[in-house]
Amino acid sequence: MKIIFIMGWRNLWRNKRRSLVVISSISLGIFVMIFAMGFMNGFNVQMVENTIKTSLGHIAIHRKGFQDDMKLDYNFKITDTILQSLNDEEILAYAPRVKIHGMIRSSEASGGIMIVGIDPEKEKNISSIYDYTSKGDGSRFLTNEDEEAVLISSSLAKKLDLMLGDKTVLMFQDKNKEIIGVGMRIVGFFTSPIDSFDKFIVFTPIKLLQNITGLGENISEITIVVKNSRKINNIKQKLLTEINDADLEILSWKDMAPFLVSAVNLFDKMMYIFFMIIFITVIFSVANTLIMAIMERFHEIGVMKSIGTKPKRIFSLIMFEAFNLGIVGLASGIILGVIFIQILGIIGIDFSFYMESMRSWGSGSIIYPAVKTMDIVVATVIVIITTIIAALYPAVKAARIKPLDALHYV
Amino acid sequence: MSIIKIENLKKTYDSNGIAVNALRGINLKIENGEFSAIAGPSGSGKTTLLNIIGGLDKPTSGTISLSGEIINDYNPTKLSDLRLNKIGFIFQAYNLIPVLNAIENVEYVLLLQGIGSSERTKRASNILKEVGLEKEMNRKPAKLSGGQQQRVAVARAIVSEPEIVLADEPTANLDQDTGSALLDLMHELNKKKGITFLFSTHDVMVMDRSERLVYLRDGIIAEDKTK
Ligand SMILES: Nc1ncnc2c1ncn2[C@@H]1O[C@H](COP(=O)(O)OP(=O)(O)O)[C@@H](O)[C@H]1O
Ligand SMILES: [Mg+2]
Repeated sequence: MKIIFIMGWRNLWRNKRRSLVVISSISLGIFVMIFAMGFMNGFNVQMVENTIKTSLGHIAIHRKGFQDDMKLDYNFKITDTILQSLNDEEILAYAPRVKIHGMIRSSEASGGIMIVGIDPEKEKNISSIYDYTSKGDGSRFLTNEDEEAVLISSSLAKKLDLMLGDKTVLMFQDKNKEIIGVGMRIVGFFTSPIDSFDKFIVFTPIKLLQNITGLGENISEITIVVKNSRKINNIKQKLLTEINDADLEILSWKDMAPFLVSAVNLFDKMMYIFFMIIFITVIFSVANTLIMAIMERFHEIGVMKSIGTKPKRIFSLIMFEAFNLGIVGLASGIILGVIFIQILGIIGIDFSFYMESMRSWGSGSIIYPAVKTMDIVVATVIVIITTIIAALYPAVKAARIKPLDALHYV
Repeated sequence: MSIIKIENLKKTYDSNGIAVNALRGINLKIENGEFSAIAGPSGSGKTTLLNIIGGLDKPTSGTISLSGEIINDYNPTKLSDLRLNKIGFIFQAYNLIPVLNAIENVEYVLLLQGIGSSERTKRASNILKEVGLEKEMNRKPAKLSGGQQQRVAVARAIVSEPEIVLADEPTANLDQDTGSALLDLMHELNKKKGITFLFSTHDVMVMDRSERLVYLRDGIIAEDKTK
């Protein structure tokens, strides 16, 4: 058997240039695929993580109906039962929020916004708003001592022509549907990776909102972050059974952002395009090379058959050669691709120059590509299967060469 | 029993609709240990006859038996086994597998026969020594002279211990001296080991050296003389 391997391997390098062209085209295809998949995957992961970190958390508890219509009417009290079930070792942190639709007004302009009342200390544990807040030049995050203070995004500030320390008026309905306006001082600016979020959300201390609106101790939501994001559904179910309150809804981030789930699915599906490209590259380059190689070796195969080589063995030899082409291309493509992605995964690809609009997807403008092992497994399987398919016809052809015809042919 | 027994063998080729009678009724017996040549001008049917004997081609009519067994109706697999185990082939040129070196080329046949690696190497190197290629064992065909390549082909043909070695104009691509040396080698193997050789040739030197000369003309045996 060893001789067959030797032959297969040496045959591969008989026409070095041709083999290298095929190997590099497979390699390049794999490389591009790994890169594209790594990029898409990084994009998806960041899109999801950013959304979780800026607004949704992993799980939220609301008054039933709040998710569809975020009105102040849907508020609830944090009961002991809720507190007890939140005291779970799988839960990393949780924090209360009050959310009210309202308006923000400056001397220049006004706009519709969502006012989010947060507990500044607890919020630090469940979202990245604290990290997104610039600290310096007087800008700071909210504190528990703040009263009429508001944290807005730099882009909203720009839009409304507001400066740090400026007073702005927030208008919203209280519990009794009375419209009230509260003057607030801007204490800080934040910038999240999600542009639409920035333009729409302002933060203020939860106490203030509870007092002004007459909510008292009641809140709009509890946002929860768990230790292991793979267990989100289990924890959600556990909370549902433990709290067991028909007036409340407990939702995972997937329930709250179905559009995000479908976007991720769509991008995942786009990967099939790359699989197709690889498939076509491999089929054509491998089949073409093998057919040429067999034509060149017509006489030689004739000699081999004349001295008693069975068609099966010729078939295996050609398949083995094809396999070598595929595997060498595959291995070099994977190695190059993975190294490249690892490096880019650390330094990131900065798109801020090209498209500010990347931010509107919520992925941030710097993408950190990351490969999924599963994608590499799929790529490997695809290359091996396509190589086999591509080699089948040439190998059968070679196996069927009639020794007599081939011997004449020198 | 004759190694080869041919009765009323005919072969007609279809060459673009025109029937070419390459063999027109051959009767021939080859006995064990012979060192014989089929001679005749170009186109007289020598190659056709050797190919049929070697199971590479089928006769149009007549019978051909090898060690008493008629091979006319053998299927491709049986013919392949026959060529592997009972016949050694030496062609005019380009006999060898280019990517394999001399010893690997010889071993290849033993590999096909399913012989284990260490015995393969032992037998192949012994045979290569016998044909005088002790020093060239690890050379690829491209690095061997024409005469050396034919010696490797001889080694490969005999390593499987076939019943007969068929050589179609083995010296045609060699110069006089090299061809003569090759013939010496084969003759020695014939004498020492009793290997049966059947050549085709139109080389006078080969005809002179062979012990029996079967003269073909237009697909029939014109003369058959044992010296
Ligand atoms: N495959 C073939 N198709 C048609 N005609 C053939 C074929 N092979 C040989 N012939 C013809 O058969 C005759 C005998 O050829 P061949 O056996 O090669 O003679 P030799 O080996 O003595 O030169 C020639 O006329 C040749 O043209
Ligand atoms: Mg001939």
